[in-house]
Amino acid sequence: MSVEQLLPLVLLLPLIGGFINGVFGNKLPKVVVGSLATLLVAGSFFIALSIFFQLDQAVEVKLFSIISLPDLTLNAKLLADNLSIWMTLIITGIGSLIHLFSMGYMSHDPGYRKFFTYLNLFIFSMLILVLGSNYFMLFFGWEGVGICSYLLIGFHYADEQKGFLNGIAARKAFIMNRVGDLGLLIGLFLLLMQFGTLEYSEIAAVVTAEDFVNPTWMMFGITMCLFIGATGKSAQIPLFTWLPDAMAGPTPVSALIHAATMVTAGIFLTVRSNYLFELAPDTQKVMLYIGLATSLVAAFIAMRQNDIKKVLAYSTVSQLGLLFVALGLGAYTAAMFHVTTHAFFKALLFLGSGSVIHAMSDEQDIRKMGGLKKYIPVTHWTFLIGTLAITGFPLLSGFYSKDEILGYAFAESIPLYLILMFSVLLTAIYMFRMYFLVFHGEFRGSDHQKHHLHESPANMTVPLIILAILSVFGGVLNLPGLFLHDQAHYMTHLYEHNVAGMNLIHMEHLPSNTIMVLMAVAVISCLAVLAISYQVYVKKKSLPKEDAQLTGWEKVSANKLYFDEIYTALFVKPIEWLSEKGYRFFEIVFLNGIVFGVAKGFETAGEVVKKWESGRVNWYVLWMVSGIVGLIIYYLVKF
Amino acid sequence: MELLLIPFVFALVAMIIPQKAVRGYALIGALVSVVVGVVHAVNYVPSAEYFSIVEACTTMMGGKLPFFMKYGYDGIGLTMVLLTNVIVFLILLSNYDNQSIAASKKFVALVFFMQFALLGVFLSLDGLLFYIFWELSLIPVFLIFLWFGAKGKRRALMKFFIYTFIGSLAMLFSLIYIRSYAPSFAIEDLVAAQLTTVSALWVFGGFFIAFAVKIPLFPFHTWQPETYTKSPMAGTMLLGALMLKMALFGMIRWMIPLAPEALHCMTEVIVILGGIGVIYAAIIAIKQNDMKTLFAYASISHVGLIAAGIIVLSLDALTGAMVQIVNHSFVAVGLFLAADIIDRRLGHRNLLELGGIAQQAPKFAFWFAVIIFAGVSVPLTSGFIGEFLLIKGIYGYNWMYGVLIGTTLILACVYSFRAYQLSMFGPSKGFEFPDLTWAEWLSFFIVAIVVVFLGVYPQFLIDMVEPGLQKLIEIVNVK
Repeated sequence: MSVEQLLPLVLLLPLIGGFINGVFGNKLPKVVVGSLATLLVAGSFFIALSIFFQLDQAVEVKLFSIISLPDLTLNAKLLADNLSIWMTLIITGIGSLIHLFSMGYMSHDPGYRKFFTYLNLFIFSMLILVLGSNYFMLFFGWEGVGICSYLLIGFHYADEQKGFLNGIAARKAFIMNRVGDLGLLIGLFLLLMQFGTLEYSEIAAVVTAEDFVNPTWMMFGITMCLFIGATGKSAQIPLFTWLPDAMAGPTPVSALIHAATMVTAGIFLTVRSNYLFELAPDTQKVMLYIGLATSLVAAFIAMRQNDIKKVLAYSTVSQLGLLFVALGLGAYTAAMFHVTTHAFFKALLFLGSGSVIHAMSDEQDIRKMGGLKKYIPVTHWTFLIGTLAITGFPLLSGFYSKDEILGYAFAESIPLYLILMFSVLLTAIYMFRMYFLVFHGEFRGSDHQKHHLHESPANMTVPLIILAILSVFGGVLNLPGLFLHDQAHYMTHLYEHNVAGMNLIHMEHLPSNTIMVLMAVAVISCLAVLAISYQVYVKKKSLPKEDAQLTGWEKVSANKLYFDEIYTALFVKPIEWLSEKGYRFFEIVFLNGIVFGVAKGFETAGEVVKKWESGRVNWYVLWMVSGIVGLIIYYLVKF
Repeated sequence: MELLLIPFVFALVAMIIPQKAVRGYALIGALVSVVVGVVHAVNYVPSAEYFSIVEACTTMMGGKLPFFMKYGYDGIGLTMVLLTNVIVFLILLSNYDNQSIAASKKFVALVFFMQFALLGVFLSLDGLLFYIFWELSLIPVFLIFLWFGAKGKRRALMKFFIYTFIGSLAMLFSLIYIRSYAPSFAIEDLVAAQLTTVSALWVFGGFFIAFAVKIPLFPFHTWQPETYTKSPMAGTMLLGALMLKMALFGMIRWMIPLAPEALHCMTEVIVILGGIGVIYAAIIAIKQNDMKTLFAYASISHVGLIAAGIIVLSLDALTGAMVQIVNHSFVAVGLFLAADIIDRRLGHRNLLELGGIAQQAPKFAFWFAVIIFAGVSVPLTSGFIGEFLLIKGIYGYNWMYGVLIGTTLILACVYSFRAYQLSMFGPSKGFEFPDLTWAEWLSFFIVAIVVVFLGVYPQFLIDMVEPGLQKLIEIVNVK
């Protein structure tokens, strides 16, 4: 079948899955619900794969028009080019693995059916986001994934202890995302004002034309608005604090939504709009510094977190910061490369942590773990691979993708490179700290937990193994030119082929010698951190301190740099104050006061006038006479 | 003609039917109107004429009838007619299990009478007729409120009545005033009247006071939360879903085309008042603990946006306003129904004492969530289409207002999700909460279907209203 016919199918399958499970799910056995959801997403993956291999030039498929007014046309239209199909492959590929994993992980959960319905709907929304051919469709998907994220973060809302907090976390995520969404929406209005359309291809055609005059301020405005949208969804400063809280959701959700797919929507948006960002160097600067700051701040906070998922969450924020640095440098392919490898190893790490939590009877505190490697060997080995990949261990996928970004940073400026390198170093430190604390040393949990320790079933370990393989070999997707020259820069060629704007971007490649040196630095630092961590946590058996004993930077890190407290004081409290006082004083006392004042005034006036209406004729005569006299005097004076 | 007659006849007959059959009778009566409305919509051919379908009783009855019996509709009017009929059906359906109300003949008769008055407002093509129906609609709402309202209703009732009545008088004054410039009260004569800016301001002002009270716009809103809270749920729905739409419709049909000369002074004022209402009411809603009061403020916030969008008079915003008028009606029914379901089962609506309902009533939790999402205008619901177009229009008028009003996207989430979370989530608080009955389920279902259909394919509605809106813009431009 042709691409035009296949493309809607990719979208349709997860929607059908969500519909069937949502409507008939409680009549179907669990196995059917889970397998159906998994198979449909896998089906989408294979269709996307076949599209990927037969796609040459970008293809657009119009479904119907949503709004059609004389000067405003918004279409439901799909676009297949190498970028959107690449994202589709990540979403459905990793998505189906995570569906498979969930079949085991959620097997004892009463909300099993609901869970798979939401997951399928999430995949559907995410596919709209990436496959839409215009910003309007993107916005549809953008908010759609926000809803699914809300529903899935608050999934265990009825939990006796944590239910209420889960709900709060879900709400926080949605509201913070909405702040970003408003920015994106305004960006859409600006685009409409400037170009009169929201279609990618039409905007790209205008912008990349020879005679296009760059309206500098407009471009700055548009790209800043898009970037504000991206900071919400991709958890950048100042809108990143929702992501760590979002870990309240079940672990597969964290892996799928809050690590591999949804949070990369901001990166996708930027890469998609590369031709706009290229015209706004100021925005690129802002993006670069925000990304750099986020990367550092998140890595710093991750140093002293003790919740296994929180560490991974801050690590995700930090990696996303790194990605925005790449985007700020204009290295779009490098960013997409890292998005891909990051999706592999971060999904792996999250699922691995899920397997650990599963084995530990829902314990998430790494202080209560330790020595798990002999109890859950498959999880251990795959988790180790994930850890090595994210820390940039030589020849694993993270090594290539990270080095490419570091290389571009080096080409830009050496201080930038050094700061970024520092952030990478922090990543290695907290990741190894976590790894050793969880899997090495003595077991520190309760006897009950120890008794229950068990390796996860096959439907959970198989996804781990597949993701581990991908994390190891993912690097081949965009090898540097150093080795295997013919196969190098596969993704770069792919994107330059049919993604609008990408063929106009030429990144300077560093000379091979420099690349070698940078790689050596990266390798040495990674190995050094590994060795030191081994010394500290395995040989010396050093353990995290109790919260009360923390001082100095450790306390600040453990308290997440007080971001939540600051936001509460700056935004939440004042608005609540305004709401309460505004209601009590302005609404009730002032406005209602005026209304009743007016009513009272009429009443008083009535009382006064009532006295005139006395019924005594002599008074009436007196009033009449004085009236006539008054009139006469008035006319006499006037003339 | 049959559009108007059917509810009227049903209202009269309601008084004499046997007690047992009241509830079924109500549903059937409402359904007949819906069907007739749909037949009209199917046969309707949009055209660029001001009013495609005009029926004047004068010709029908040999020219002997009073001069003001002229009515008809264009796409906008027809949309409102259809909306009224469907919403009335929904109101009766959603009250089906509320025995004290639904089985009362008085109630059913009043609702049909209300429908009659509303349809009259939407169909009138004559100023005086419009005014008469406008005032007529006050009576059934007043009586429903009086007979079925909650404790402390009298104070709220007086406030509501005086407020709206003063507004109506101002409108009557405007109508009589502009009549002195025109040969008759017929809409085309009134539109053709040439006014100076000052006299246009008088005309505009009178209408504006009437509409600002009824919508309500900040700072004319103080009757609304109290009235909504104290009135029975059916009354709140009538007020929130339909009666305030009379005012928004009135802006489009009467206020703007009659006195566009006043627009250059008034546009800014109304956009600002609307904008203040959007933000102010949303902030007040954040800390409300009575669910119904909270939704009442939410409603002020939403309609402020619609009013601001209408007055900027761009095609986008007007279209958005029409979509949002429809959306808001359905969402209001859904939200107030949700609040009432909780009230019916537990006897109160205090958010601080609720919690854990989702576990006990999963169906209710699901549908309530759908309505909440529609209320915060997420894509795939008509609220999104409406607000997108409205904010775009206001943004085009003045980008700063657009951005400020756009914050409603965030604030709406804050209060809506607070209400939803406090009531539905969390561990169970130990009370029994039976899940939805079929009538409640069906009401939610219809609301959701409409909202999602219009969210995915709003063009259906846009095609209907666009010629009328184009015409409106043309009238304003010509003057």
